[in-house]
Amino acid sequence: MDPQLTSLIVPSEEITKVEECLNHLVEDTGGNYALLLDKSGQVISSQGDGDRQDITALGALIAGTFASSREVAKLLREKDFRVLFQQGVRENIFIALIEEQWILCIIFNKGTHIGLVKVLTKKATDELATVLERVRQQHKARDEVLGSSFRTSMEDTIDLLFRD
Amino acid sequence: MALINVAAREIHCKIVYYGPGMCGKTSNLQYIHAQVPRDTKGDLLSIATETERTLFFDFLPLDLGKVRGFQTRFHLYTVPGQVLYERTRVAVLNGSDGVVFVADSQRSKLEENIKSLKELAVNITRQNKKFQDYPVILQYNKRDLGDVLPVPVLDKYLNGMHWQRFEAVATTGVGVFDTLKAISKLVISRL
Repeated sequence: MDPQLTSLIVPSEEITKVEECLNHLVEDTGGNYALLLDKSGQVISSQGDGDRQDITALGALIAGTFASSREVAKLLREKDFRVLFQQGVRENIFIALIEEQWILCIIFNKGTHIGLVKVLTKKATDELATVLERVRQQHKARDEVLGSSFRTSMEDTIDLLFRD
Repeated sequence: MALINVAAREIHCKIVYYGPGMCGKTSNLQYIHAQVPRDTKGDLLSIATETERTLFFDFLPLDLGKVRGFQTRFHLYTVPGQVLYERTRVAVLNGSDGVVFVADSQRSKLEENIKSLKELAVNITRQNKKFQDYPVILQYNKRDLGDVLPVPVLDKYLNGMHWQRFEAVATTGVGVFDTLKAISKLVISRL
C-alpha cells in the first residue's frame, strides 16, 4: 500500500521521550506550554500548565495556520519554510516544523525571550526528528497493536453512534 | 495518515469534506453536530465570513469512546468551496485520511463539480498520495431541488473511480449519516 496512507504508530517508549523533550523545552525556556502535533492537527503530546481548555481545537487551528502560512511562503517562492511566530498581547506562540510530519509549538509570555525560544526549539526539533525517524522505521503490524477484531468492533460502534 | 498513540491508547483520523462552493459541506457537519450524542461530540468550530461562507474551515471533533481499549477520534473538516480559496483547501487537506466529495446535484452545477473533483485529484497527488488508492466517498447532495441531474448522469461525469456514493439532502439529514458511516469505515479499514 502507498506508505503515505498507512498509519503512524507511536509506541509508548517514544511518547515518553516526546514528553521528556517537551518538558525540558517548557522548563528551560520558562514557557507556559508545549505541544507536539501531527501535521493533520492531531495532538500527539502536550506538556505545561494544566488549564488549557480546548487542546483539540488549538491543535486543529495551529496546524491549519501553519499549513496556510506555508502556502503563502510558497507563493513568495520561499524554498524551505519551517517556523512561524505569533505575537500576542498576553502570550506568544512559536511554531516549528519537524521533518514535514510533525509540528512543535511552544506558548510563552513576556517573561521569556524569543531568542532563547528559537535556540531551544531548534534543539528540541532535532531531538524529536530522531524520535520520528525511529517511529517511521519500526514496522509494527496493525493487528499487533490493535488486535485482529478491532475493525469489526469499530464498525459496530460506528453503526451505533452515527445515526439520526 | 492516521495517528495511533500507543501510550495514550488513542487513534486519530482526519476526514475532509470537499466540494464546490455552496454544495452543502458545512450543512453536513452542522447536521452531524446536531444529531450525535452530547458526549461524542466537541464544539463545532467555524471560521466563516460575515455572510456565513466558510473562510478557512469548519472543524468537528467526534470521540467514539473506547473500542477494544483504544480511544478513537474522528476529526471532521470542511474546506472553503469558493474557487478563490484553492490554496486554503490545500492547507486543510494536509494529513487527511479520507475525503467525502460533496457534489451539488443541480444541472447548472455540473461543471463546478467536475472542476472541483479534478482539483481534489491534483491536490491529493501533490501530497505524494495516489489518488486511485485514496479513500473517497461521493455524496450527491440537494436531491430535493427541482432541476437535479439523474444519478446515472452524475455517475458518468463524477464517479469514474466507482466510489461508494450516496444521495443526500444535507439540510434535512437525508444521507448524511450513511455518508459518514461509509467514510469512517473506509478510513478504519485502511489503518
